[in-house]
Amino acid sequence: MPDETTLEGWAPEIGGGLTLAEVVERAFDYRGNVTVVRTDGAEVEGYLFNRAREVPAPFVQMYDRNGDGPLTILYAEIRAIRFTGKDMAAGNSYAAWLRARDAAKTTSGAPPAAGA
Amino acid sequence: MSVPLSQMWAVASYVLGQRLRGRRRYPLVLMLEPLFRCNLACAGCGKIQYPPQILRKHLSVEQCLAAVEECGAPMVSIPGGEPLMYPEIGRLVRELVLRRKYVYLCTNALLLGQKLAEGLFEPSRYLSFSVHMDGLREEHDEAVCRAGVWDDAVAGIREALRRGFRVTTNTTLFEGANPLRMREFFDAMMDLGVEGMMISPGYSYSKAPDQEHFLRRRRAHELFARMLANPSRRWKFNQSPLFLQFLMGKQDFECTPWGNPTYNMFGWQRPCYLLQEGYASSFAELMETTRWEQYGRRSGNEKCRDCMVHCGYEPTAVHHAFASWRGLRDTVVATVTGRL
Ligand code: SF4
Ligand code: SF4
Repeated sequence: MPDETTLEGWAPEIGGGLTLAEVVERAFDYRGNVTVVRTDGAEVEGYLFNRAREVPAPFVQMYDRNGDGPLTILYAEIRAIRFTGKDMAAGNSYAAWLRARDAAKTTSGAPPAAGA
Repeated sequence: MSVPLSQMWAVASYVLGQRLRGRRRYPLVLMLEPLFRCNLACAGCGKIQYPPQILRKHLSVEQCLAAVEECGAPMVSIPGGEPLMYPEIGRLVRELVLRRKYVYLCTNALLLGQKLAEGLFEPSRYLSFSVHMDGLREEHDEAVCRAGVWDDAVAGIREALRRGFRVTTNTTLFEGANPLRMREFFDAMMDLGVEGMMISPGYSYSKAPDQEHFLRRRRAHELFARMLANPSRRWKFNQSPLFLQFLMGKQDFECTPWGNPTYNMFGWQRPCYLLQEGYASSFAELMETTRWEQYGRRSGNEKCRDCMVHCGYEPTAVHHAFASWRGLRDTVVATVTGRL
């Protein structure tokens, strides 16, 4: 089910059917930290909260692991993006909770814990 | 309707001023999110689904005030996260009241009694606590995934009322809500003595064929029509009666997402409070560069097809009240007679 699929741990190869712009879109939708590898080999890990595609020099914006930022990185400076952080949305949808609640009610009569 | 006259007047003169200036798009309520942290973890709440370094961060009061200034809306809603966990919430509210902004502080009320006892707030006609209440005890505790929250919220409401604060409630309803229980809930809130209630359907998005979208909307209209049929004279809603009529299927509105723009630590959120399609660095950039035609039910955007939420459609209802004689007449009739 869509709300239970996660990209956590994904390290896509850019090229060969997957463009950088597509990977950036996935990273933008991802509710966890990602690691951006720059073309010079330097890495920055953090939360990618924005991207601007339709500007002359497309860029992403991030807060790093310490919450510092925003850092702006041009698409042209990105070699790869890895989905390294925990997906904070995985399994936390309303639908997932309803299913857990119904299952818990059938087995014990008690609702699941908060955030289940 | 329970909105105080002074607030109605402020909003009416603001809207008329915008119309006289020929502005097609203008903000009505700024949704100001100083933080995403919360002391609850309600099922499916996207506001808290961030990595720890984001949940630890918050805007400064100066950033908040700059956004308020830039936007210019007469009302500021402070959702979250839980705004009572914002370390500078007292100063922020004081500054907004000084600027004569009508503030709705949206809270789950778990910390309300404590913050009131600390003397963080002073009663003002500009300040209203908007307490998250998703129904009677059973429904609310289930929605927030924790037993006892309803009782704590009721205690917080009582304490705020005792101290002379304006208190409203905000309720989000999903498919499957029981209209009869909701009518009991409205009675219970009026018994408590709140100034007014706000209701909205929740937002849910899933790809579906056209027919299913139509059915979902019809089911939502049926739910609200049953819930609000022959409304008790005691019920007071702190929102536009035309929006309630829209929920009941008696008005046909289109979304005006720019009516409730959202600002948080990421910037100005496109296009609305619910969808996160990117961020603009200034309010002007948000207004000028967002492709508004791609949103709303008639746009064909799958994410907007079933949406009827207040942050998109209530500003439309308010605009409609001032845009035509019919809108004004419907608003006046509903306000005076209490009929929807
Ligand atoms: S109280 Fe509000 S912000 Fe907090 S988890 Fe519940 S819905 Fe989300
Ligand atoms: S229809 Fe709903 S989801 Fe779409 S822009 Fe309006 S408020 Fe946002």
